[in-house]
Amino acid sequence: MSVAIRLVDIGMQFAVSKNHDGGAHRVLEGLNLEIRRGEKVGLMGRNGAGKSTLLRIIAGIFPPAHGEVWRHPDMTVALLSLGLGFKNELTGRENAFLAAMLQGLSRKQAGQRLQDIGQFSELGAYYDEPVKTYSAGMRARLGFATGLLLETDILLLDEILAVGDRGFRVKAREALQEKISADRTIVMVHHAERAIQEICTRAVWLEQGAVRMDGDVNAVISAYGSQS
Amino acid sequence: MARLSLRAEARRFYLGYLWWILEPLLYVAVFWLVFDKLLGTRTPNFLMFLAVGKLAFIWFSKTVNNAASSIINNAGLIARMDLPKALFPLVVVLECSYRQLAVFLLLAVFLLFDGQMPTLQWLWVVPLAVVQILLIIACGFIAALLVCVSRDFVPLISLGTIFLMFVSGVFWDLNSLPDQNAANLLLILNPLAYLLDGYRQILLWQQPLNTVHLAVLTAILLIVNFVLAKLIHRYGRHIARRVISQ
Repeated sequence: MSVAIRLVDIGMQFAVSKNHDGGAHRVLEGLNLEIRRGEKVGLMGRNGAGKSTLLRIIAGIFPPAHGEVWRHPDMTVALLSLGLGFKNELTGRENAFLAAMLQGLSRKQAGQRLQDIGQFSELGAYYDEPVKTYSAGMRARLGFATGLLLETDILLLDEILAVGDRGFRVKAREALQEKISADRTIVMVHHAERAIQEICTRAVWLEQGAVRMDGDVNAVISAYGSQS
Repeated sequence: MARLSLRAEARRFYLGYLWWILEPLLYVAVFWLVFDKLLGTRTPNFLMFLAVGKLAFIWFSKTVNNAASSIINNAGLIARMDLPKALFPLVVVLECSYRQLAVFLLLAVFLLFDGQMPTLQWLWVVPLAVVQILLIIACGFIAALLVCVSRDFVPLISLGTIFLMFVSGVFWDLNSLPDQNAANLLLILNPLAYLLDGYRQILLWQQPLNTVHLAVLTAILLIVNFVLAKLIHRYGRHIARRVISQ
């Protein structure tokens, strides 16, 4: 299978002090990783191990401080994460429409997806209410449905499966397994090992900004488990 | 995106869309009260003079101040999608320009009530407005970039627009300055002063515009905007890193 993403000697740091001249917090250092098309990779590691930063570098949101990022030029990528990104005053439907347009869909294509997104996210009448009235779970459901139904080649998931009630989590995982049977590539960060076991074909353990272990899901999980 | 933002904003307030024209009108009313009734200005037909200047100025100041925070306000979106960063200030400009259309229409109604006869010359408002949009885009880009460098620029930009209001002849007439050389210098150095004066020349005084000045200004602004857009594009991802890690 062809390579989808290649990262060579990636380093990344963020300024810590307010004036940006003081200390810098090293997030990633000397990280190498190659992901092939169709692979489902689970990223593990403690808080602050650089998982979210790595996803953002892969998504091309920002460049690393040093090192090389290569992404297959024909593959589209979407990063799904919790939190901000919705316009609070707009309804769920309007937000989904905006997201679809920003992903490069035409007005017509975006309009066609809206129905599905509303249905999958199970928002019911809330779909046409402003997002500011939503609970955290509802926001997450909307975010997940929007990302899932906009078909990108590489899907980056940042803790997106951890929210919503249990029923929705199961449904989301099932949908993901269904969607990913094709040659979509997935890189996901998740704190629950079970989700990684269910979905991923490969696990990568990040520690101190570099890859500590990479390989079979169960082997990495048990090594990670015995360590922490 | 601009249209959705407008809808979002209208929903936030009880009076909704009415604020688009209400707010600028209240500004005009306050300034009129202070400068005409309290201080007693000597400018003839001061109310209309003020309305033309102030309404055009608010368009500038409001847009630039909103554009300043436009990139950092969308940090959530920027953290998820690799979007062209120039999009955010441009959306603000588009949004505010939609509104200004309503304000200009209202201004036209006022002028008619005031007894001004619409002439073909009024059409010069269109190129003036286009140049004003170019000026707003340039200032909006610069403001948004500065705020990405540091949020401390937000109050400074707001202060800067207030300073501009004083030196652009919003409530005093450039042509009444004792030193005409100073007035001319101001018109050259401050494009906003030229634009406000231009609107009045056409709408109130039926005077021809200095078209050479307008053409030169257009050319300069086009170049400046081109350079700024290139710059924002080139450093787009560095902007993202900055905005996300702040």
